[in-house]
Amino acid sequence: MAKPLPGRVVNQIRLLRFMANEMTQAELGERIGMTRQTVAAIEAGKYSPTLEAAFRIAQVFGKPLDEVFQWEG
Amino acid sequence: MSFREKIAWLSLIAMVVAYGVYFTLVSPAFLPAGASTGYFLALLGGILTVQAVLVTIASIVLAIQTGRDANAPADERERAIARRGAAIAYFVLMVGIIVVGCVMPFSAGGWHIVNAALLALVASEIVRYGVIVMSYRRGWHG
Repeated sequence: MAKPLPGRVVNQIRLLRFMANEMTQAELGERIGMTRQTVAAIEAGKYSPTLEAAFRIAQVFGKPLDEVFQWEG
Repeated sequence: MSFREKIAWLSLIAMVVAYGVYFTLVSPAFLPAGASTGYFLALLGGILTVQAVLVTIASIVLAIQTGRDANAPADERERAIARRGAAIAYFVLMVGIIVVGCVMPFSAGGWHIVNAALLALVASEIVRYGVIVMSYRRGWHG
């Protein structure tokens, strides 16, 4: 199997939280069924959420998935 | 720090301290001459009881301090971290059990085998909790 191209998932969650009346990480976590620490880890790029969780986050902000998460190659 | 990370730290520290004491006391330097089965059982039973009581009390205190997060089900990251810890610890346990079950019976017996099996279990649990706390500290990709 070929080695995958290097890259990482980046996200705009911090900006989107700011635009959503400074929604806290805890509030976002509560709406998507995650802990505040997991939201913080996602936001910091230390954890890539599952596709389902990513869709849930995008749904909370009313944005399409690719406006929340991007691939930085 | 999330409730589950606190519990992982607590379990890790409790295991290292409790079994550190146990394996020190059953080492040749501290073991009384002619120690009986009753001595080993009393020592192990006493340490297990103290560990269980202290971990239970500390867990209750942590749950009260953490509030309702303590009752929340594990989220996907917490489950993934737990799986990673168990997967890596499995190999430690396998190696330990192979040594204890397939090698030691030819060279040792009695409490040497029991203690070696216990050491394999403890080592795998310490690796499991170690991987879990490291994954929480450094992030999933760390």
